[in-house]
Amino acid sequence: MYVYLYDNFLRQKKYDSVIKAIEVRLTDYGIAGKILRLNNFIDPKQVIDDEIKRGAKTVVIVGNDATFGHVLSRAATCDCTFGFLPVGSNNTIGRVLGIPEGLSACDVLSKRRKERLDIGWMNNRYFVSQLHVLPARLKVVYDERFAVTTNEKMEVVVCNLQPFYWKKDKKDESNQVVHPQDGKLEAFLRPLTKQGWWGYKYEDPSIFPFEEMEIISDSPFTVEADGKASKELKVKIKLAHGKIDMVVGRNRKF
Amino acid sequence: MIFQKSTPKNLPEEEMLSDTPIESGQADEVETVVGPSVNVEGDFASEGNIIVKGTVSGSVHTSRFLSVEPGAKIMANVRAGNAKISGEVKGNLKIRETIELTSTAKVLGDIEVKVLSVEPGALLFGKISMPGIEGAEVRSVKPRSVRRSEEIAEISQ
Repeated sequence: MYVYLYDNFLRQKKYDSVIKAIEVRLTDYGIAGKILRLNNFIDPKQVIDDEIKRGAKTVVIVGNDATFGHVLSRAATCDCTFGFLPVGSNNTIGRVLGIPEGLSACDVLSKRRKERLDIGWMNNRYFVSQLHVLPARLKVVYDERFAVTTNEKMEVVVCNLQPFYWKKDKKDESNQVVHPQDGKLEAFLRPLTKQGWWGYKYEDPSIFPFEEMEIISDSPFTVEADGKASKELKVKIKLAHGKIDMVVGRNRKF
Repeated sequence: MIFQKSTPKNLPEEEMLSDTPIESGQADEVETVVGPSVNVEGDFASEGNIIVKGTVSGSVHTSRFLSVEPGAKIMANVRAGNAKISGEVKGNLKIRETIELTSTAKVLGDIEVKVLSVEPGALLFGKISMPGIEGAEVRSVKPRSVRRSEEIAEISQ
């Protein structure tokens, strides 16, 4: 049985036609199911657990990156298969999973090509795609063995599912590709150095594969995990041992 | 308020691209890179290749390739499979296969390696030991007192 979790923004009139078309296509494929609408006050884990008790086997998230992050940050350990139908703007995770936006995502879902994906754990929640710490004065401790510091601010990006590429200029062709199933997370650290009176300049990034890391700072810094931002003083990030079953497309980037 | 600007201002746009197509064959090739103006302290170990462009103090260990770029500084004992040194190293190096000291290299410490290559201009202060010379191995294995007693025994015979 399929359960569909719709994000609240899909109530907007401009999405009506896409949603209708998707529902018709899903009915054609015989995979239509119960529709639940999410909002900020609903705990997705509780909802999904209830639906699993009622016999749900596949939970499909309908929305954008923020919806995906909102659901899986809590419900990643639920015992079911997850699917994703990207709708609306701000959809990058769908591309990584090989799921096109809009109506054609239903074709991918119906094919049910499943993959087991690693997930990251941050303080008390999960992240699937990417974690981004905005530039701040930070100290990063890896696997409780060595510490990394810089003289100025630094930016940290932890990649799990979504590859992280950086380019100094357009001519630069050096790409680092991060595989989501390699049993490690990868952290990219980019220190900022002062340039002139006001500006900052990014240095070349440092790359550290790790299993556990801790980011510490004296003042609160912003952390964005799967598109959801929060302020923290200390963040512990590690590779969670649990994995999620996910329906992915043929054109996935891993 | 103008003077309290704390966020980076002149960051180049589109620096971080997260949806560029992946080049096949590069997967699983993630190396550990210590970038410039980054300081690493502690037991720095990695299973893959290590590229050092910043400063490392403590100890460095990898079973694979270590590259110390020009301007980089390592104040630590180093153990690696292969190494190419173009920066500064203060500490003993224990390399399993090959070490290459380029013209900008500066090494203060003992080197233990199978194959050594030194470019003209490289600075080196320390003892170099290489396996393969039988006499040297015997001498290094036996303590001086043992050798002395053997010599006395030979003379008395």
